[in-house]
Amino acid sequence: MKVTNGVILPGMELSDLVGKLIVIEGTDGVGRSTQIALLKEWLEQKGHAVLDTGLSRSGLVGKGIKRAKEGHTLGRITLTLFYGTDFSDRLEHEIVPALRAGFVVLTDRYIYSLIARAIVRGLDPEWVRKVYSFAIKPDAVFYLKIGVDDLIPRVVFTRGFDYWESGMDVYTTEDMYESFRRYQTSMLEQFDHLAEEYKFKVIDATPEPRKIFEKLRAGITKVLEGETHRPAAAHDVATIATPPSAVVPLAHDPPPAPPTAPESVARAAESTEDRMNAALSKVRDVSVGDTEA
Amino acid sequence: MKRYGEHRFPGRLFVVEGIDGSGKSTQLMLLHQWLKSEGYGVVFSEWNSSLVVKDTTKRGKKKKLLTPATFCLIHATDFADRMERNIIPLLKAGAIVLCDRYIYTAFARDIARGLDPAWVRELYSFAVKPTGAFYFRVPLEVSITRLHAARSGFKFYEAGLDLGMTEDPDESFRLFQGRIVEEYEKIVPEFGLNVIDATQPIEIQQEQMRELVLSKLERAKQLRVAP
Repeated sequence: MKVTNGVILPGMELSDLVGKLIVIEGTDGVGRSTQIALLKEWLEQKGHAVLDTGLSRSGLVGKGIKRAKEGHTLGRITLTLFYGTDFSDRLEHEIVPALRAGFVVLTDRYIYSLIARAIVRGLDPEWVRKVYSFAIKPDAVFYLKIGVDDLIPRVVFTRGFDYWESGMDVYTTEDMYESFRRYQTSMLEQFDHLAEEYKFKVIDATPEPRKIFEKLRAGITKVLEGETHRPAAAHDVATIATPPSAVVPLAHDPPPAPPTAPESVARAAESTEDRMNAALSKVRDVSVGDTEA
Repeated sequence: MKRYGEHRFPGRLFVVEGIDGSGKSTQLMLLHQWLKSEGYGVVFSEWNSSLVVKDTTKRGKKKKLLTPATFCLIHATDFADRMERNIIPLLKAGAIVLCDRYIYTAFARDIARGLDPAWVRELYSFAVKPTGAFYFRVPLEVSITRLHAARSGFKFYEAGLDLGMTEDPDESFRLFQGRIVEEYEKIVPEFGLNVIDATQPIEIQQEQMRELVLSKLERAKQLRVAP
């Protein structure tokens, strides 16, 4: 059973969504996609069917958003609603069918990034939250937290400053470094508010990727296990805030001991193929863009 | 961000609402002609959606990819674009702006598709409040007779065929428009729309419209000379 943050979209049945919705949030360049790739592999090895998805990947709008960003032509309310359309399309056509089919849905960002971006661009925080209130509450949100001083070297030495990630549409300065610093500082501030409001599980994103992965793995294991005993309430998340116990084994860096899957999870895994086929017939293929767009 | 802001721009915004076949576009055209002849700086808000939004909407409609939610949101996106790039700049420049359909169309249509009424109103709360909004009230049968005379066949989303109420486009259109009329009737008192009886002769309707518009323009002049 899933719930939303407010309204329910027409025709959206929430009672039979048996899969898990797991969100990885964090600002630009913090290493979300690296972690998701690792998590997907790990979860599949454990026998879970995984759908990984992210912002601006919808079949309906994804390409349009990319084009809009190239031209920098859309106003801030327009862009926010364009993202909202994309999100709704993915929610209805990918996320919900996959959850219904029992998948673990790993999503690279969720409404929280969209909310933070919109607020940093001066939109009414209450309005933005209400617009996105049709979103399904995730089973867990892991927030990869980093300070702007730690973030900057990562970005500089990998891909460099990007126009949008530097908020060049927000500030008047032409100095991309200055703009990046200001924009990301504002974004991180918003994330701190959201982390409290929506009960994120906060993970320190400064250690090496492997250590972050282990913390994520521990957190996700709890989410998957917890579910077999009781229906998880999305807001019931006080369980993990990187418990101190997680620190100790990391010092030894032990080989990842695959946690024993509870029986029902194992059973679910057996019929993974059937579920996948069922889901695939519902999930629209978004990777194959049609040439007409 | 202002919500349904009583804008302080020098321009004035008049909008017409009503179901297809209510005659609202004709009335707006006549109002436009009159305002021009009176020497006002008047602009009929011809909307050219930005290419990216337009392409998405077109593709979604053609391939029937749109759900009630994405139909609502893509139109809200397009409306926001219109607001930000067209209507607000015109109002800032002091124009009298005329719009054929406004947020109330979206309210009626989206709620008829099953979206939450309060949520849809919130979604559009960035829109500027019109100086005057007219609702052309017409019995469904009259509007359908007018439409049948003028054109053949309804489009998929226009007829509400996406709701799967019936496969027959004419029947679906009738049911869908019926729901829309119900929603309009709730909107009229809530947002203070001026109702025009659209079964009256065209000239009478236009007279009623001009009278109200004129009163709003005079008030605007008075406000400008006030200290």
